Amino acid sequence: MPPDTTYSVQDQLDELRQAYIAGLSARVDQLTSVWNTLSPEAWDTSALETMLQLIHKLAGSGATFGFTSLSNTAHTIERYLLDIQERNAPLTSEEYTQISALMEVVRMVAKDPTQHASTLAWKPYLTLNQHLSGAHSRLVYLVEDDLLLARELALELEQSGYTVRTFAHPRELEQVVHDAPPAVIVMDIMFAEDRLAGITGIAQIRQFREVTIPVLFISARNDLPARLHAVRVGGVAYFTKPIDVPRLIEQLDQLTVSPRPEPYRVLIVDDDQVLAEYYALILQQRDMVAKIITDPLHVMVGLVDFQPDLILMDLYMPDWNGLELAAVIRQQQTFVGIPIVFLSTETNLDKQLAAIKLGGDDFLTKPIQPERLIASVVARVQRSRTLQSYMMRDGLTGLLNHTTMKELLSTEVARAQRQATPLTLAMLDIDNFKQVNDTLGHTAGDWVLKRLARLLQQRLRATDIIGRYGGDEFAVILPNTDALVARQIFEEICQDFAHIQQPDDSTTIPITCSCGIAAFSDDHDSNSLNEAADSALYGAKRAGRNRVVPAGAQEQSMPT
Amino acid sequence: MTRAALNRVLLVEDDLDIQSVAQLALEAVGGFVVEICSSGSEALDTAPEFCPDLVILDVMMPGMNGPGTLRALRELPDMVETPVIFMTAKAQRHEVEHYLELGALGVITKPFDPMTLSATINSIWSQHYAA
Repeated sequence: MPPDTTYSVQDQLDELRQAYIAGLSARVDQLTSVWNTLSPEAWDTSALETMLQLIHKLAGSGATFGFTSLSNTAHTIERYLLDIQERNAPLTSEEYTQISALMEVVRMVAKDPTQHASTLAWKPYLTLNQHLSGAHSRLVYLVEDDLLLARELALELEQSGYTVRTFAHPRELEQVVHDAPPAVIVMDIMFAEDRLAGITGIAQIRQFREVTIPVLFISARNDLPARLHAVRVGGVAYFTKPIDVPRLIEQLDQLTVSPRPEPYRVLIVDDDQVLAEYYALILQQRDMVAKIITDPLHVMVGLVDFQPDLILMDLYMPDWNGLELAAVIRQQQTFVGIPIVFLSTETNLDKQLAAIKLGGDDFLTKPIQPERLIASVVARVQRSRTLQSYMMRDGLTGLLNHTTMKELLSTEVARAQRQATPLTLAMLDIDNFKQVNDTLGHTAGDWVLKRLARLLQQRLRATDIIGRYGGDEFAVILPNTDALVARQIFEEICQDFAHIQQPDDSTTIPITCSCGIAAFSDDHDSNSLNEAADSALYGAKRAGRNRVVPAGAQEQSMPT
Repeated sequence: MTRAALNRVLLVEDDLDIQSVAQLALEAVGGFVVEICSSGSEALDTAPEFCPDLVILDVMMPGMNGPGTLRALRELPDMVETPVIFMTAKAQRHEVEHYLELGALGVITKPFDPMTLSATINSIWSQHYAA
């Protein structure tokens, strides 16, 4: 296969996808008009057959073009219709309500397909980049025709841990952005032929990309029209030349380090599987992650394993009702704060209030409107996450605090034990931190702490759990990671930390850190794992600092 | 037996959008010679003159479905032994087994990745002829 074939195939696939999107609303209109002829009163086997064919096609093609949830919704409708066809009797009114609601979801997607596109099966480059997200989350494309300035700026960004590719003109960016999207684009505005070429270039890229890459504009222009144009194409910041580089880097850090908000996680507890799946579908349309539990007795396991942001719970279930279940959940300290939203056909206000008294946060009456469900869930999760983050985080570094780390460590240890997956705990602290503070002052000390925190955030995966235990001590929980891999990772981190720019150019105190790591094994619990990592850290200190020492190997420590 | 070469592929699929993606996947990526039919009955007309090395059949099509098309193809003298792969959405395990019992080389699930579809087909093909 010639090397450029994949590119052109990719382009052709994109074209096909555009054509599919263009035709989608017509497809759904057709589907709707057939569906409108069916009802419990109007029984028509040939209309049902047509409907089945259309919905089957939609289920088959949706996912092919990246609309996985559309496919899933269509597939659920198809299952209903197949049942009805097999039974060869009119729709029940319940089936009618369910299918109507599902059709509503289908129409919602068709109205604005790109909003609902999930990851495409056929974007190998994107998928590859997702795997390399660690590396690519620091990739910056710098577009600047002043080559001298470009080189200087690139150098400074690289020193701050970014990988920079420079381009002399916006048009050079188009293909590259498509193949290997960067974390951020830094774009000059004025180019030789056009005083707004940078902005036009970004507008063009935006046309073809759904995933928006943040853009920072840099320019010699400081006039309002230029700034307005920059905002209009979605520029997140605007720097006038000469560029305040530290502030630019700070902005880049904010854009790249703070991870994209995790998708909201919703635990659905409902004994009716079909209804639960329906709620899950609605939430998935908005990029939330949903887990369904149909047996109330499995709720506690679901809570611990799935770590939901919110519980959506049916009020009346056989054997155990939602109120009792909510009370039990609320009795456990870890789950005191988790929002619980009840779902029920109950319209009696007194009973609704009773539910809220017992620990419910909201009460939604069935049948549930998709938009109402989404609004309630989003509002509650947002608020609870904000509160949580205040309670869970360390004010200086923004990392998780000691209490939270301890809790998460026991959760992760329990999970590793149950699922028989590896888990490693790393403890780090800054060498001679007292001396740093005494010689350079506390501001410099804070700067060093923040620098290590930032380095950890940059280097570790989103699934790793990073915390500040207090003082200059940090801890990292690495799920699915064995000691060997962890050791390599932290050796690199320690080396990098030793080479970072000093807070004050005149200082000669070496700023380094030491690290102890301990892998979870069956004879550990979370406390002993903690102790093992701690004593390995002590071993690293004793062996001369600025190194990584695995637990049980203190004697054979190696310099980094 | 010596491994037969896979060159000519007949695709039977009723959805035009999937047809075009599959055609691209088989021709541009896989380098096969491809002929496409939109229904089972069209396939019965086309197959004898196209002489495919392999037929890919969508399972659920209006009119004659995939398994029905396979049965009808087997009635044609030139198509008695032509290998067939089924293509279907969300196949359950027992369904897959059922399709294999009907004499298919394999089952490909939809949605497929157009970049790897041909590789999947090649590997089903070579596994079959290696056995």
